[in-house]
Amino acid sequence: MNHNTPIAVTGIGCLCAAGQNLEQCMDSLFAGRQPSAPPTRFSSSHPVRYPVFEIPDAFTFIGNDKKSEILRTARLAVTAAGEALRDAGWSRAMMQAKRMGVCIGTTVGSAMNNEGFYRDLRRGRHPQMNAVTRFLNSNPAQVIAREFGLTGPCQTVVNACSSGTDAIGLGAFWIRSGICDAVVAGGADELCRVTYNGFISLMIADESLCRPFDAHRKGLNLGEGAAVLVLESEELCRARKQPARARALSYGAACDAYHLTAPAPDGSGLKQALSAALTASKKTAADIGFINAHGTGTPDNDRVESKVLHEMLPGVPFLSTKGYTGHTLGAAGAIEAAFTVACLEAQKIPPSAGFTTLDPELPWPPVQHETDLNGSLAISQSLAFGGNNAVLVFGKGDT
Amino acid sequence: MEEYKKMNTNAKLKDIIIEELNLEDLTPEEIDDDAPLFGEGLGLDSLDAVELVVQVQKHFGVEIKNMEEGRFAFRSINSLGDFIEERIAA
Amino acid sequence: MAKEIHDMRTAIRGIGTVGGFGCGADKLHQALVSGQSTPKKIRVKANGREIDMPVFLCDTTALAGFVDKRALRRVDHYSSMAVLGSYLALEDAGMLQNNRQRLAVVIATGYGPTRTTFSFLDSMLADGDTCASPTLFSNSVHNAAAAHVSILLKASGPNLTVSQFELSVPSALLSACQWLEDRQIDAVLFGGVDEYSDVLGYSWQRFFGSTQNTCIEPLNWGLQSAIAGEGSAFFLLTRNDGDQPKYGFITDIQTSHIANGGPDIAGEAVLFLGADGHKLCGPLYSHHISEGTHAASYTPLYGSFPVNTAFDMAIAALSLKENKIFATPGCRPNKSGLRISHIEQDLESKSIACLKFGCNGEFGMVMLAAE
Repeated sequence: MNHNTPIAVTGIGCLCAAGQNLEQCMDSLFAGRQPSAPPTRFSSSHPVRYPVFEIPDAFTFIGNDKKSEILRTARLAVTAAGEALRDAGWSRAMMQAKRMGVCIGTTVGSAMNNEGFYRDLRRGRHPQMNAVTRFLNSNPAQVIAREFGLTGPCQTVVNACSSGTDAIGLGAFWIRSGICDAVVAGGADELCRVTYNGFISLMIADESLCRPFDAHRKGLNLGEGAAVLVLESEELCRARKQPARARALSYGAACDAYHLTAPAPDGSGLKQALSAALTASKKTAADIGFINAHGTGTPDNDRVESKVLHEMLPGVPFLSTKGYTGHTLGAAGAIEAAFTVACLEAQKIPPSAGFTTLDPELPWPPVQHETDLNGSLAISQSLAFGGNNAVLVFGKGDT
Repeated sequence: MEEYKKMNTNAKLKDIIIEELNLEDLTPEEIDDDAPLFGEGLGLDSLDAVELVVQVQKHFGVEIKNMEEGRFAFRSINSLGDFIEERIAA
Repeated sequence: MAKEIHDMRTAIRGIGTVGGFGCGADKLHQALVSGQSTPKKIRVKANGREIDMPVFLCDTTALAGFVDKRALRRVDHYSSMAVLGSYLALEDAGMLQNNRQRLAVVIATGYGPTRTTFSFLDSMLADGDTCASPTLFSNSVHNAAAAHVSILLKASGPNLTVSQFELSVPSALLSACQWLEDRQIDAVLFGGVDEYSDVLGYSWQRFFGSTQNTCIEPLNWGLQSAIAGEGSAFFLLTRNDGDQPKYGFITDIQTSHIANGGPDIAGEAVLFLGADGHKLCGPLYSHHISEGTHAASYTPLYGSFPVNTAFDMAIAALSLKENKIFATPGCRPNKSGLRISHIEQDLESKSIACLKFGCNGEFGMVMLAAE
């Protein structure tokens, strides 16, 4: 296999505020639902209650670890992995017979920021140590490997908002280089009070529903969720007689090397990543049917991203789905990859949620209506704190 | 907060900028009251701007609601000092 | 078992280390030759009393030799160690002046920037949610170190940070080698970084109690003798260009779990053990390594933290360069059943395997060879 061999996507799992599985999520997107509300699981002393996209508490958790013993992010990850593996027709016996790796992106899932524990410690009290033990047992990729008895490489990617995209790209590398036969790749992140306060402090959260690419956009809304893609080699997929839902053609990544929180105004990193991904896929802009953009709704991100897309992929329809799900941080790239595959299958894309008015600074608007697709390829891309840019190129599958 | 009450607002702001934005190589005397804080002048950036919003909240109890307000207030030490004193008096 | 990565050797062209022994390969070398490295003492309050806990702490003042102080004003201790390790590795490789558009940055960290994570919580708990510090928040994301390295070096290749406790290094290294194989980039700055924090010290006291030992006894499997540490170890890696790189090659990376069988140890390799005095992990080494295996352990020189495999790799690189095995430092006779060198000797085997077990039975092994 060489570095642009297509990798089959045989199963998908996805849960977020839009739905508890991929089908529910896609129904919600095409119905135009935007299930945001002030947070219910935590409170903050900010005078404004910023809207978030929460998953209801009673989501179906699958897994052997007791609910109290692993953190929410890891539970979301296991649930999405379970759906994906069922979708791909993998039994536990098969998983253990083959070398299956796991590559998961996260941010909150790797942070030890239990406030109760730390507050007690600061006050000189004698807190219970189970907050620390739970954290040590909750590394998302390790939890999935443990749950399903996976024997391949295991990796937790902590690349901030591009983690999910990176995890899928890196998982595909493993298969291309022959290190393993299949990979469970994606991302997961829970809503968390600490992160909520952090984004508000950066003044990039919108007090109302976010409006990606809109002239009046004020910032992002946080969300939570998880998505997992099962990736496997074409040979394995054929041997199992499992249809590919899509093909991962390539992955490009680059760093702005500019600023800790702001994207490079000239979009240099995104251009480099897009260029690398297109070159590796041996495709051109003309082949691309649509782009699932990062589109957070912050003034800076949307300005830079739409300018780069206009320069490198002029006329290609693009949308942000964050108005349907919130910005799910480490899960975002994976959830959006899942949506991208589902849209390729359905051969249509929903409108870009939250957009009504074109910003004169932005060269081109996102799609404003449900749109039939022209083309069998799509791009899903993410931009992150620290200047990471990650791009995946997907091709239509057999379904 | 106690030790700051005696100093005037501009002097307090300079101390906060040096201390909280980690500009330890600067002295208060080197910060011109009328020089731009962002871009040229002190050369602060977008992350400094939001940090300054939080520091103003913490040390003066004055809220800067968004970056339009921030851009206006942050033109210089003098403009920020005036902004704060107006809000406190109101 | 993991397959070899297409037999592609990854060349090691430069190393940069910052640890309790000091800063730079020279200081590491001195510690290896002398067998001496002394931890500092940090006061920790836990279990109703105060004790002085030994910790291998790092000093990053040498960073001023590479970067203007003003440019470092938002770079915390965690990121400073990473930035310093990166500059040292680039300098050692003679590549400080090279264009860095096709340089990737890949970092492994067990726990991330823990001091800043808790400083951010301090800012909320002390003065309320509206006073949460955005600067501390943005530095508390695990990829902040890689971001600072990229920004200061203007390295615009891909960035990757991996965090999964004791297996962070082999996992991240696999991706670093694969980025090179993919050919979107020509060189990778790869490193491991972990920092000590007060919360870590407190947690150690609660989990392990205070021990009386003054040095780690990695081969005394049943003894809790770990001493906390911190540091960064960075490498400048490229594809195998057909020449003989300064420090040899990374030839294989294995990651697995004992449930699927123990590590596949090539008979002739010398084993560098990442055992660092935690009695929960000690038996994993003794059960899965045959008696008489030629082994060494250098954790007494730099301390106990999740990414110590990167330090063992740096020592392996020095060993390959000088064609010798440095003496394993230690304060008691060896009862491990392994063939341990307490004096410096020639490296007969030409290959070294750096092995680390995590307490849940997962393990990672990085193989290095001269050719």
